[in-house]
Amino acid sequence: MHDSILDYRGFRYLWVALILSIGSIVAYVWHDPIGVPNGGSWLGYTLGTIGALLILWLLWFGIRKRRYSGGSGTARGWLSAHVYLGTTLILIAFLHAGFQVGWNIHTLALVLMLLVIFSGFFGVYAYLRYPAMMTRNRADTTRDAMLAEIRELDQQTLQLADKVDKSIHDAILSSIQHTQLGGGVWTQLSARDDSGLALAKLKEAVLKSETGEKSSKSGQTMVMMVDFLANQATDAQSENLRRLIDLVSRKRALAARVARDIQLQALMEIWLYIHVPLSLGLLGALTAHVVAVFFYW
Amino acid sequence: MKWFIRRVIKKGKGSLQFEEEIHFGETLTVGRAANQAIFINDLRAALEHARVVALGNGRYRVESLVASGIRIDGRFEHAATATSGCTLEIGNVRITLVDPPADFEAAVEVGLVDKAEVAAREISEALPQSLAEAGLGKRKLAWTLLLLTLAFGLLLPVAAHFVPTFRAITKDVPAVGLNAWDSGPLAAAHHTMANDCQSCHGEPFNVVADDKCIVCHAGTAAHADPVKYPLPDIADARCAHCHRDHNGDDGLVRADQELCSDCHRNLSERVNGDTLLVDVSDFGSNHPQFKILLPAWDAQGRYQPERVSMDQIPLTERSGLKFPHSKHLPAAGLKTPDGVRVLDCVDCHKPEPGGALIAPINFELHCQSCHRIDFDLRMPDRQVPHGNAAEVQYMLDEFYSKVALEGGYDDVQAPVTVRQRRRPGEAPPNAQEQREALAWARAKALQTTDTLFNSRACGVCHSVSKDPNATQAGWMVAPVRVAGVWFEKSSFTHAKHATMTCIDCHTAQLSLSSADLLIPGISASGPKTADRPYACRDCHGGEKDTKLLGSTCIDCHGFHQADMPLHPGH
Repeated sequence: MHDSILDYRGFRYLWVALILSIGSIVAYVWHDPIGVPNGGSWLGYTLGTIGALLILWLLWFGIRKRRYSGGSGTARGWLSAHVYLGTTLILIAFLHAGFQVGWNIHTLALVLMLLVIFSGFFGVYAYLRYPAMMTRNRADTTRDAMLAEIRELDQQTLQLADKVDKSIHDAILSSIQHTQLGGGVWTQLSARDDSGLALAKLKEAVLKSETGEKSSKSGQTMVMMVDFLANQATDAQSENLRRLIDLVSRKRALAARVARDIQLQALMEIWLYIHVPLSLGLLGALTAHVVAVFFYW
Repeated sequence: MKWFIRRVIKKGKGSLQFEEEIHFGETLTVGRAANQAIFINDLRAALEHARVVALGNGRYRVESLVASGIRIDGRFEHAATATSGCTLEIGNVRITLVDPPADFEAAVEVGLVDKAEVAAREISEALPQSLAEAGLGKRKLAWTLLLLTLAFGLLLPVAAHFVPTFRAITKDVPAVGLNAWDSGPLAAAHHTMANDCQSCHGEPFNVVADDKCIVCHAGTAAHADPVKYPLPDIADARCAHCHRDHNGDDGLVRADQELCSDCHRNLSERVNGDTLLVDVSDFGSNHPQFKILLPAWDAQGRYQPERVSMDQIPLTERSGLKFPHSKHLPAAGLKTPDGVRVLDCVDCHKPEPGGALIAPINFELHCQSCHRIDFDLRMPDRQVPHGNAAEVQYMLDEFYSKVALEGGYDDVQAPVTVRQRRRPGEAPPNAQEQREALAWARAKALQTTDTLFNSRACGVCHSVSKDPNATQAGWMVAPVRVAGVWFEKSSFTHAKHATMTCIDCHTAQLSLSSADLLIPGISASGPKTADRPYACRDCHGGEKDTKLLGSTCIDCHGFHQADMPLHPGH
């Protein structure tokens, strides 16, 4: 049976994390430090050492995952441990500090650590949810195949449009030229494409053409075609035009799926652009924290 | 206008073939229609796609006739003025504007766009389809954050440590320089040194040294003599072993029981029996009975209290005073010169202003209003001074001498001179009469002194005796100690016990004799009754006690008290 990063080997690392968490809580409750709980008690130093080693080990995952062979365990096992032990780190860090915070490098390290962990939570969500959505969206094909199909459709559309009318051909040509897939970060993440809008307009235009109304709108390829259909087309042209509308709809649907594919892939990746740089920031803050503590022991 | 059109046709590998033709007209039409000057066999071209107008001097006006436009020098345009060398692309055809040869006004070169070139352009012009392609990177941001945190958390503070001017500049800037390292608020007592890390922190990577503490705490005594008891816990421990700052007001001073019981639960064993202290680990379950200081005086009359266990039987107080508390505390009250008064404890035992101890008993303040020390029925308002036997003798001598010389003292046993009242203008007594009068006065003073000391006044409360070697009256009063320090190795504050009444712990109303020690011990036997005073353990337990008030060692005892000597023999 397939197991995900969460239920890897029967939740092996969940149990490790739970044992570590419960052990830390029990020690924290049992421990009776001088004054209030803090990082300077023996338990504070112990939890701090565990936490720092965990952070280094979690950072090491960034290197480990690039090695496809060698090393111990599978990449999936490492990721499962990475997720569970990373989550445990929240508890260990707070117990280490005795829940004390302040405007200092120590709390900066804590805040960076929390940001890294919570961005990681989004990553877990993304990895669990989006691959299935991507598969569904691609429907047994690939993005390259979809793009090739779009190019093919463009050709067919042009051929067909040429048979209808030069104004339609011109409109289709312009529409092909303005089809944009992908783009900047925000465009990718928002999956902006006007296919929905275009189809809605198409439906509206068809409705109007059937009732004999003239659409006042122009410029939109679909609208233009429907206008043409309603006003000037001959029978043969009408038939071609209907096929054309079908082709354009198929292209639009395909374009929307490609945009969605790009969006899902971007969502799967975007958190890493926060997670990874912040974890390096955490490494710096952690180094400063440890050095500071012993510099002024 | 005469156009020169040269068609470039690729033939196989690298070889080119040229076809030249001449076109007449103002404009050069370009499109997929058969009537176009330059025909393009590609569906991406409209039937009438564009036209080129020669403006002369190698300049051309290029206009697109459709919305999709023309790629002019690589960019899509709808209209442009172009010069020779400019390329126009429509579909798979590339038209290059060239300088016209002689006899021509305009010239173009027409060829197919290379397929490999198109493919390369498609790749280079494709919109980014992943975040990485969109220019988002992790590496630069990661390095920036790493360096920023190191600079903020390490570089600036270390610079502030080593560079005094930088330290001074950043001293009061929150979270900058050494303030970035501040791990928590200092205890209130150390606030005066806040932002001055090096008051305590010296050499890098070294723990806070004791000499930094001693700058201010020079007067603090050790816990025990480190020479006599060279135990690691005492001799080697640093101040900061117990005193941890940067945790606010908590933690700077240890209050936990383990602070003491760690060593004291088996102290004798630790020091090989070289201690007078009894092992102790918990106030509720393992603490010896108290030792109390009972008043005592040596042969010379110097106060030398005895420290005895309160388990000693009999345990009697030797205050030097005869004072039955019960007689002074009847519920119906006392008949006093000012009428009937119900006495309360606080009428005599007033807490000192600090609230820790009870102020000493004072005869003039607390006793004299009832216990008058007058001495002569004829002059009941006169009283002798209290507290000094010799002074009483002197005062009575002087008093009766004056009476004798003035006369008018109505006593049948006195000489006539003393009894007779002197009238104004009357001759003073002669020498013989004066001698008689003074002799009477001395005898009267001596007799009055004896009466006062022996029975009527002093002896009521004090133990009085006569000095056999005395030349005068020679009365002596035993020394008295009523209120004072009972427990010298612990601190007890009455003010902290204000929720109790006095008789909860001191059942004075039941005490018939001043020999009764009215100080509670550590614990009492049997359940608490009205007649049984509270003992400490009725309310106080060890630190971890959940049913009683959890009390730790330093609630009563001090830690730094090596200068307090133990009493020999106890």
